[in-house]
Amino acid sequence: MPDLQFTATINGRKVARSAKPQQRLLDFIRDDLNLTGNKEGCGAGECGTCSVFVDGVLMKSCLLPVAKAHGATIETVEALAQTGELSVLQTAFHKAGASQCGYCIPGMVMAATAALRANPFADREEIKERLGGNICRCTGYQKIFDAVELARDVQNGRLPATALMETETEDAVIGKAVRRIDAPSKVSGRLRYAADMTMPGMLHVQVLRSPHAHARIVSIDMSAAEAMDGVEGVITCADVPGVDGFGVFVNDQPIMARGKVRYVGEAVAAVAAENPLVAARAVAAIKVVYDTLPAVFDPDDAMRAGAPALHDYAPDNITKHIPIRVGDVEKGFAESDLVVEETYSTQAIEHAYLEPEAGLAYVDHDGVVTIVSPDQNVTHHRHMLARIIAKPISKVRFIMSPVGGGFGGKEDMIYQGMLALLAMKTQRPVRLVFTREESIISTAKRHPSRTTLRMGLMKNGHIRALVMKMICDGGAYGLSTEGVMRKAAILAAGPYVIPNVRVDTYGIYTNNTPSGAFRSFGALQTAFATESHLDICAERLGLDPFHIRRINAMRDGAVTHTKAKLGSVSLTRALDALEKASGWEAGAPHSRGSTRRDLNRADIRPPCALGARFAQGGKQEAAE
Amino acid sequence: MARKRGRGMAACWYGIARTAVIDRAAAWAEIDDGGSAKVVTGVTEIGEGILTVLAQIAAHEMGVKPEHVVIGDNDTARAPEASHAGASRQTYMIGNAVALASREARKQLVEVMAEVWDVDVDVIRTGNGEVWAENTNHRITMGEAVQTSKGRGVVPVGSASFGTDTTGLDPVDGSGRPWQAYVFGAQVAEVEVDTVTGEVQVLGIWAAHDVGRAVNPQGVEGQIEGGVVQALGQALMEDYKLDGGHTSTSGFAKYILPTSLDVPRVNSIIIEDPDPIGPLGVKGVGEPAMVPTIPAIMNAIYDAVGVRITALPATPEKVLMAIRDKKRQETERAVQAAE
Repeated sequence: MPDLQFTATINGRKVARSAKPQQRLLDFIRDDLNLTGNKEGCGAGECGTCSVFVDGVLMKSCLLPVAKAHGATIETVEALAQTGELSVLQTAFHKAGASQCGYCIPGMVMAATAALRANPFADREEIKERLGGNICRCTGYQKIFDAVELARDVQNGRLPATALMETETEDAVIGKAVRRIDAPSKVSGRLRYAADMTMPGMLHVQVLRSPHAHARIVSIDMSAAEAMDGVEGVITCADVPGVDGFGVFVNDQPIMARGKVRYVGEAVAAVAAENPLVAARAVAAIKVVYDTLPAVFDPDDAMRAGAPALHDYAPDNITKHIPIRVGDVEKGFAESDLVVEETYSTQAIEHAYLEPEAGLAYVDHDGVVTIVSPDQNVTHHRHMLARIIAKPISKVRFIMSPVGGGFGGKEDMIYQGMLALLAMKTQRPVRLVFTREESIISTAKRHPSRTTLRMGLMKNGHIRALVMKMICDGGAYGLSTEGVMRKAAILAAGPYVIPNVRVDTYGIYTNNTPSGAFRSFGALQTAFATESHLDICAERLGLDPFHIRRINAMRDGAVTHTKAKLGSVSLTRALDALEKASGWEAGAPHSRGSTRRDLNRADIRPPCALGARFAQGGKQEAAE
Repeated sequence: MARKRGRGMAACWYGIARTAVIDRAAAWAEIDDGGSAKVVTGVTEIGEGILTVLAQIAAHEMGVKPEHVVIGDNDTARAPEASHAGASRQTYMIGNAVALASREARKQLVEVMAEVWDVDVDVIRTGNGEVWAENTNHRITMGEAVQTSKGRGVVPVGSASFGTDTTGLDPVDGSGRPWQAYVFGAQVAEVEVDTVTGEVQVLGIWAAHDVGRAVNPQGVEGQIEGGVVQALGQALMEDYKLDGGHTSTSGFAKYILPTSLDVPRVNSIIIEDPDPIGPLGVKGVGEPAMVPTIPAIMNAIYDAVGVRITALPATPEKVLMAIRDKKRQETERAVQAAE
């Protein structure tokens, strides 16, 4: 198709350019105009990071073909602070601490601007509804609501403009809500994440991924891809010059599949080309012959004798087993008045950082292989990559680009190796930007778990014995599984003095998407079991939930289940403060919701009544 | 009533910094021209606000203003190792390293000024961009002090490393000293369960967490609020589904995340039980903030409607099914009792 002649008014300036017919408005403003403030988070209109104004209407620019915006007046986030001075709303985001990783923030600022334009007196509930199309993974939204309310009140004169300024601090700076030093760059869209960066002569990378959960690679034919115009380099595991393999604890995942694929979405080959379209066509032209192998998707099945083994070094598919042993649990159960057993399970969870994986690589003037990426562990990645590409550490350099959310998911060196190999092969800068789908299918998840928990207690509430066995699906590669099993086991029995403990956590290989590091690293799964269980036991014993925890709480100088002696233990302080702050009404947890008197206080939010405002027939009248 | 309310609570503990290995982090600091300061460390700002926390720590220790602290980017060719962003470790490990390096830089400057003013180093104070000597008329700006120091051939720089005294776990019984700093916390959840649709709304969370010392209380709240809402997602809606290794949830249309309409009001209660080992007393909060949330919500659902969800997530379908099962069992029991 021929190029389009596209004209529009963008951020107050006339733009007349040719555009590719397949371009979305988002591509045009980011790639052609270098306005990278608005980000791509999902490419499907679900997350809102790409929100711009088209003729004054908030639109998701990833869904809009550029041709549809022909002749329109467009405002991107850059329009809000065009002279360098932040808008009232942007300043309010700064003041309220409403930005964390910042990746969703340009879109959020646009949506909030739209909200206050639509109703300058919008209350908190209406603000929530109007921001409902924008996802933030970091903040929990509270401080975003605070920021919009602050901006509203300043704009309406209910609060003076000084309310937006830094609260004056005396000499002390520790313990003060100092405004975030990185917030102005985030609320304005000025901060450049890896996908916003370009280099002269830069090539674009696309990755060929496995369609099979478990298969032997018979052959890879790259000749057609290599012969295509604009293709500068094609790589497979054969291009790895050193010792292949990465992982936080065990280096069992190759940069690209080696000999066989172990999960759907695993990288098999990668292409660097003059533009992303050529790279994608080249990826489609790579012919891989697979011989599918029996696969295993359930950790219990994987542990059975005769199950398909994923890795030669682990014929039983056990990635890691961590035991904790204290006292004699059988004796503890014999002494108990009440023994309760229950099983608990948790699901796989996606990190869903708003910034999909992205990175650049180049070989610099001194021959240093340099990777720029949102990387949670540059120290370890430099170490591993040096071994993989067979270079001294001084010839490998990792530069952290701003991280648009991580939560553990960017601890794995899942794509930086491919970037390094392509930069070395082409001797040109290369850039790889994952789509949301690629990010979801190819990167680690929170470990799904199945936990059996047995607890024995005395009538007075004292726990005498605890036995926990947790089986976790670690997926196809080791990544952080060992560490997750360790932390899960150490913290499994909770902050309670228990004389007899037996905990076993197992991480198991399967042909599922690998599991890895995720904020709270195994402790979430075991705490769900132990803390649910304590309430079950409290009900059976007629004890208040706070009380049963206090009875068993570790206190100053307690010895943990790993036999470590603690100093100061703040648990009872936290329980006391929480009970008071929440106005908790004491009582055993026997479904007493209908009779409690501590509900519906002022410090909760009203139940969501989505759409009620709009169902009333249009915009509610301003409150004033 | 179709909608029923309930409350539940849960507690947690957590270890700060890397588990069952010796953790370490380093930083370089310089009191720079004009009374600004430069801190270089391999820190990773993943959104928690660590750059601001480190600027506050450096400002506090060197006596400059926080907005005059420049923090170098994380670059393995330019910055000393500070290791990874994870394990709720950055404020603890890197914060303490920056404090120690800043103290070292300040010491260089203070020693010069003590000589210039002919006073004891102990009477020299620094703060808010100024240097002065107690009980004297000596008071100059930090910029002037740096100029004086450099005029005497001394660039005020410092470097420091902070490491933990920890051990691995015994492979048989798990004994060991995995961390040197522990935090504790607890949360209450208030929910409303719609018994017609099975939908659970979390209306309020009260979250009490020990953070050692809150360098930036607004940042601590941000960590608690964000952690609570991530946990709420796992509790009620998020589910990465696989069938034969293929996912059916490869986008946000199918992988459901909490939005502005799903989140409770979060009431943070910050507890400060200072760490006695590190120079600052700080600990961490990033991960523990989400640990008690899920059981607190499940305990609240039980309080509201008497059903115990043991398999996450507590989707409307699952909650509704559990409510129906409970009703059926109660009816059967009533029938049996009547017979």
